[in-house]
Amino acid sequence: MIFEILIYPGFVFLVLISMIYYGILRKLAARMQSRIGPPIWQPILDFIKLVGKEDLNPEQAKAGFTLWPFIAITSVLIAGLLTPIAGIVPLSFTGDIVVLIYFLAFGSLAVYLSGFSSSNPFGVVGSMRGLIQMIGYEFPFIVSILVPVVAAGMLSPFLINTLQIHYGWFGFVFPFAAIAYFISILAKVEIPPFHTPGAHQEIVSGYSTEYTGTRLAMIELTHMIKLFVLISLGVALFFGGSADMVTFLVKSLVLLFVVTLARVLVARFRIDQILKFTWFFGLVALIDLVRVMVFI
Amino acid sequence: MRGESKEEKAKEKELERQTYSLPVGPQHPMYIEAENLNVYLDGETIVDVDVNVGYLHRGIEELMQRRNYLQNIFVAERICGICSGIHSMTYCQCVENLLGIDIPERAKYIRTLVLELERLHSHFLFLGVVGYEIGMDTVFMYVWKDREHVMDMLEQVSGNRVNYAMPTMGGVRRDIPNHIIPSMLEKLNHLEKRTEYYRKLFLRDRTIIARSRGVGILPKKDVERLSIVGPVARASGVRIDVRMDFPYLKYGDLDWKVIVEKGEDSQARVMVKVLEIFQSISILRQCLKKLPSLDREIKTKVPLAIPKTEAIAIMEAPRGELVYYAMSNGTDRPERMRIRTPSFVNIIYSLPIMLKEQQLADLPIIVASIDPCFSCTDRMTLIDTKSGERKTVDETYLKRLGERRSR
Repeated sequence: MIFEILIYPGFVFLVLISMIYYGILRKLAARMQSRIGPPIWQPILDFIKLVGKEDLNPEQAKAGFTLWPFIAITSVLIAGLLTPIAGIVPLSFTGDIVVLIYFLAFGSLAVYLSGFSSSNPFGVVGSMRGLIQMIGYEFPFIVSILVPVVAAGMLSPFLINTLQIHYGWFGFVFPFAAIAYFISILAKVEIPPFHTPGAHQEIVSGYSTEYTGTRLAMIELTHMIKLFVLISLGVALFFGGSADMVTFLVKSLVLLFVVTLARVLVARFRIDQILKFTWFFGLVALIDLVRVMVFI
Repeated sequence: MRGESKEEKAKEKELERQTYSLPVGPQHPMYIEAENLNVYLDGETIVDVDVNVGYLHRGIEELMQRRNYLQNIFVAERICGICSGIHSMTYCQCVENLLGIDIPERAKYIRTLVLELERLHSHFLFLGVVGYEIGMDTVFMYVWKDREHVMDMLEQVSGNRVNYAMPTMGGVRRDIPNHIIPSMLEKLNHLEKRTEYYRKLFLRDRTIIARSRGVGILPKKDVERLSIVGPVARASGVRIDVRMDFPYLKYGDLDWKVIVEKGEDSQARVMVKVLEIFQSISILRQCLKKLPSLDREIKTKVPLAIPKTEAIAIMEAPRGELVYYAMSNGTDRPERMRIRTPSFVNIIYSLPIMLKEQQLADLPIIVASIDPCFSCTDRMTLIDTKSGERKTVDETYLKRLGERRSR
């Protein structure tokens, strides 16, 4: 139990594989853009470098400036413990998918609050955008998760995972919900077209403008872990689940490839366009929810 | 230029009360060069914009008056890193106009060729920047990869990638040998294919359209009122191009058309440049075809000292009309040099109109769509050390000073 929480598939494994996955995403994106790109362990090197750097405190920063990045990373790490990875869930109890949704949302919220606490105009604009974006993506995200939950009649991602291994892919049965889930992965991790809160060309670096050193490393790591958790949750809920490491790696890497495709193929949305887009897919996912409630 | 009269100061205070300001620059990822836009925002909507230029002022005109005509070619070339060729060529043209001499036919073709190559690389650079500003890095990477072919051609022709050092007074410094022409034509074919792909991309890609169509509208009447120049004016339906209006070098003899779009928005400004790439490729092909049949003479002799007179030279830079004025005084140094660059007009006057009532998210694409070149824009900035107030000296201000003097 302790081993599962701390080492595999707990904190250490989660942090390392999230960085490697992000590295793979960067490498794939670079190859698609006809660049060579960094090696896939580059995020680990970046993380080590950032942790070794000086921490700067802006004069006008508010109280939570140091706290929020750590709260963010703790939230997503706990979310990671509740997610089935290769058929193992370190922490499992009744109704844990509700807690999972909560911790994922709180991870994003803490990151945006860190932008507000930095008192930088760019940070504030970035955080405002992030919160508006949350209004957009939480709806399709929750609706799309509800679909397999209602279909399976249980609130545990681990059990849904096991159920899918025996009864087939929910992604084929509920394609609309799967698409909405995919869209909300992009929106939650701020992958194009949803990289509006940290749009470099407009607001420098958004909420993380004032951050340096360890705290910046925490914010970056939060994103990487969020991406990995969302992908493995997607595998568990929609893509047939996984009982062993090989199936898990194959399925999650395919999903990562599709995410990378989205990253290189589209331009950035404006914040009003994001709301229209995400709510449209939320409504589309509702079709599946109605189907599952009425017919199954 | 705000902050000069009392009314304007009151207006500024009122703005600050209602809105919050976001400093875009002088150091900002959006810019390659240093410039400051003070944006007043209400939520995400832009209420007003304060354009502050002057961070890159280097005193070029004064510098040129202290050097002789030959040294000035190199000063002119270093005014801008992108349009270095057009600056040195307009300067040389201006000195030749002072002397009243004509340059050999072959030199004219070579100058035209280098200018069009420069327009190609500048326009490719622009397309890449547009892709980057709307958050589509892939376009940036693809376009800049193709731009390398243009840079290779420039290197083939001149031996340099950025400052070509091709023109000199009375001709050009290097000849283009016949054996490099086939490989250049091959590269042009490749570029034409790629540009066709980009034309379709900028015209059809739905996310690009969502970000560029109807964004940053610059009405035709404003273009005419503010005498905006270059591709920005052409995108608003104004037929203005120095190459066609006052043909210089070989543009009068070659077969090409002025590109005009009627969209008035960012997408139209992008499309003008995409279509101009096709025109440039066609002009280059005509030059390369003509080149082998010409006499090999590329330079005429010019005297170093120039008798007292004045002259002007106008050319179409990649960003619009470029004017050089020179006054000589009988020595080997100019008495007065004056340079009027296209970006100066386009940035100062058109940005506030285009940005008003737009979203903050559209600011990068709007600023990028006029293809600003700050290093040739910057004028003198006065800083009042007592109050810390800063003023950028523009034409109206200078005119007012002149009126006060003569009263």
